[in-house]
Amino acid sequence: MPTVKNAVIAAAGLGSRLGHGKPKCLVEIDGVSILSHLLSLLNDVEDVRVVIGFEERAVISEIKRIRPDVIAVRNPDFRSTTTLHSYAAGARYLKGDCLFMDGDILFEPDSFKRFVATCKPDRPRLAITKTKTKDAVFLDLEGDMVTRLRRGEPSEYEWANVAWLPVGFFEHLENTPVFEHLAQFMPIEAGILTSYEIDTETDLLQAQQNRHLFCLDTAATAGALAP
Amino acid sequence: MRDTATQLHYLDAYRLEDHEYNGPAAESRPSGTCFAFDLDGTITTEELLPLIAAELNLETEMSLLTRLTMDGVIPFEDSFRLRFAILRAAGLERVQSIVSEVQLDPYIVEFIRENRSRCFVVTGNLDLWIAPLADKLGCEFFASTAVMQGGRIAGIHQVMRKSVPALKLKDRFERLVAVGDGFNDIPMFDVAEIGIAYQGVHTAPDALISVSNYVALDGKSLCRLLRTL
Repeated sequence: MPTVKNAVIAAAGLGSRLGHGKPKCLVEIDGVSILSHLLSLLNDVEDVRVVIGFEERAVISEIKRIRPDVIAVRNPDFRSTTTLHSYAAGARYLKGDCLFMDGDILFEPDSFKRFVATCKPDRPRLAITKTKTKDAVFLDLEGDMVTRLRRGEPSEYEWANVAWLPVGFFEHLENTPVFEHLAQFMPIEAGILTSYEIDTETDLLQAQQNRHLFCLDTAATAGALAP
Repeated sequence: MRDTATQLHYLDAYRLEDHEYNGPAAESRPSGTCFAFDLDGTITTEELLPLIAAELNLETEMSLLTRLTMDGVIPFEDSFRLRFAILRAAGLERVQSIVSEVQLDPYIVEFIRENRSRCFVVTGNLDLWIAPLADKLGCEFFASTAVMQGGRIAGIHQVMRKSVPALKLKDRFERLVAVGDGFNDIPMFDVAEIGIAYQGVHTAPDALISVSNYVALDGKSLCRLLRTL
């Protein structure tokens, strides 16, 4: 039985830095939406929830096309709250641990699956990836433990905005970014994977240049086969 | 001719559950979670009234009216009275026979059967028309009510306003989870702690989605979600 039974994808944001006028999870590379790519990676996860906000109707349609057994969770306050609140809304009423991730990331599938396969109950983990941008969330590492997530001086690795955490971590919230909220739970074990987050046009270009890493044809096939 | 009081008494034998609001029970405190389901297009995989209309060759007209109602273009009560006027020509037995054969979502049926004492069907449909489904599901129903005369449905006694049974359920239960797919589910969602817009059959209107917490796209995942609540 796979350990990871629950996953929450935060896809409510405006994506204003990218400025495509649509949710970032619907941005396509080689005709495959990021959401389609993510859901194909989560094929073995029974309970997947996508938190929606901006242009929610379009995201619902894409979910229905790809994988109608995914639940859409509404975050109507997406304009005034952070991803932290989307994570909390997505994991509400769940128990145990959950895989949390942002809906604007492309992964090298094998590295993602390795990360997921090594998640264990009651052992929080943060996915980290080689630093690619200057405005990422950087981190301090001691051995394989992340002792701090922070902005500022770049580190060799950045947080990949993926985490395996107990849902209880999201019970008491302030309106802070996720990485600031997680400070109280440090240190947290790190797991390395290869990912590209799409925040800006430069990120998108970089991802397009590395498109061979993401095996997007698999996601396209999964989407096409969906009922 | 029966007087009104006698008619109402006579109806009690047929009515699934009268939905008049009688205020909170004086002694018992509300506790636990209950689930209120819309019927047409949520538990049933087809709308019932167009099915009945097909028997009368009025399918197109009925589908249009149903669509306009679900989208909130025509108020539910007006639309229901209009649809009833069209369909009353069909005999009760024939209607019940059609209703009893309608396909139900197997996952939702299973969930209701497992949780009979805290599952409720809240529907604008007519109690006498849908009586066979009450037998099948075995849970309590709140529905629009009919007036019988001479063994036939003579008219509508009361058109369902879904906030009324929803408030009634909140006297008994601490938390109400509402599941529906149409415009007339909004008053129930307004009262419920958790609203789930269901799109397994139809696309739910934006107005319903805007008052919901979740959107479920098939019966299986809907019931998986319900089991976590």
